[in-house]
Amino acid sequence: MCSIFFIVSSQLLAGLALGAILQRSDFCMAGAFRDIFLFGDYLKARAIFLAVSLLVLIVYLERVGGLIGSYPPSFFASPSGADLLGGALFGMGMVLGGGCMLGTLYKMGSGKVLNLFTFAGMIAGGIFYPVFLPLKLKLVSATGFFPRWTALEQIAGMHATAAGFLLISALFIARWAGKGLLSQKGYAEGYLQLWKAALAIVLVVSAQYVFSGRPLSVTSGIFKMSALMAHAATPAAFASVQPFTGNSVRLVYGRIMPERLMNAFDAVGITQFPLIAGIVGGSFLSALQLREFKPLGVPPFGQIISSISGGALMSVGALMASGCNLWHFFGGLPVFALQSILFLFGIIPGSYAGSLIIKKAVCR
Amino acid sequence: MTKDIMLDIRGQICPACLLITLREIANNKFSLKRGQSRLVVKTDHRDATRTIPGAAVSMGYETRTEKTDGYYEITIEYRK
Repeated sequence: MCSIFFIVSSQLLAGLALGAILQRSDFCMAGAFRDIFLFGDYLKARAIFLAVSLLVLIVYLERVGGLIGSYPPSFFASPSGADLLGGALFGMGMVLGGGCMLGTLYKMGSGKVLNLFTFAGMIAGGIFYPVFLPLKLKLVSATGFFPRWTALEQIAGMHATAAGFLLISALFIARWAGKGLLSQKGYAEGYLQLWKAALAIVLVVSAQYVFSGRPLSVTSGIFKMSALMAHAATPAAFASVQPFTGNSVRLVYGRIMPERLMNAFDAVGITQFPLIAGIVGGSFLSALQLREFKPLGVPPFGQIISSISGGALMSVGALMASGCNLWHFFGGLPVFALQSILFLFGIIPGSYAGSLIIKKAVCR
Repeated sequence: MTKDIMLDIRGQICPACLLITLREIANNKFSLKRGQSRLVVKTDHRDATRTIPGAAVSMGYETRTEKTDGYYEITIEYRK
């Protein structure tokens, strides 16, 4: 069992490392999908595929070695249409917002004013948690399938599924590496190639998985910020709203801790708040060191609206899909969680629609 | 004499940086290709220093990127 000090420091350090890596490389999941649809540019998508493939390998070895125990993956539920819808809303939101939840945090930290509006949209979207939660539960109940399955690996087994995926992904990665398709010259000072960033991110994410016993996530932390702000603004209105007042427990770092949305120091608060602060802080320090932290004035009105609505859509999408892309891509896909696979299938049309809207708005 | 067309997109994020630059290149393609002008893009978005030169080079232009006072200046001119 770890001390609270260790938990907070470890999450903060992971966040600081992630923030600096992301700022230097501009590793962007929103850009990975958007750039394919707008420019036919697959560079960022290849980096994400590389990161997920490496996580499949490392998480598999960690599970086989007993460092993390979870078969079938216990953090994921059986799939439903809510995961697909959540992915679509999240995909559209991240393109309109100019970054996914993780991207918004590090871009905001590096001084991008527009991403501050995206963050405000994420918080605003989170306030509607009590409104959308019953809708999500109804959708899960109406569209849920394979009630006994949470992961694809339950069909062919953990070893065969991982081996099959790794074999195919190794062929792709070797081909891209041979053709020089994993890197492109960047002229920014201190630029970190995307494939190197993918390796560094995988190290941080997989180490943190071993320490904390669960995949990294920021979604619940964002919802908690929304709940705390909403309650602080109008205590009477939110004092009795059920999802804001419900109690449960969560196992983190070997400790069973209380989980309550209105409590800032519960299992989510002591893990995700330091992680979020670390990501923003790591990016800020990196930008400062490069003398690039120079927030400019108020951006164009249309872009502000796009950022706020994108942020709100991401929060609603993450609620519907029970997690954001950090949770699903770096936590769920490496264990072949069906929820995460559906989330990915939803993100594709969602980010396509978002790309069309952005293109139309910018090229007017 | 070559005229500089200034494009200040500081504060803008992707994909607007690349889309706006591509639109500007398209709007000025005749003077750019005749060598009468060159496009100077000011951006503080780091990823744009990868995407804008990449796209411009693939269209037959040459680029030069310099860091100036916390932002980047990308000069785009037609390859002679």
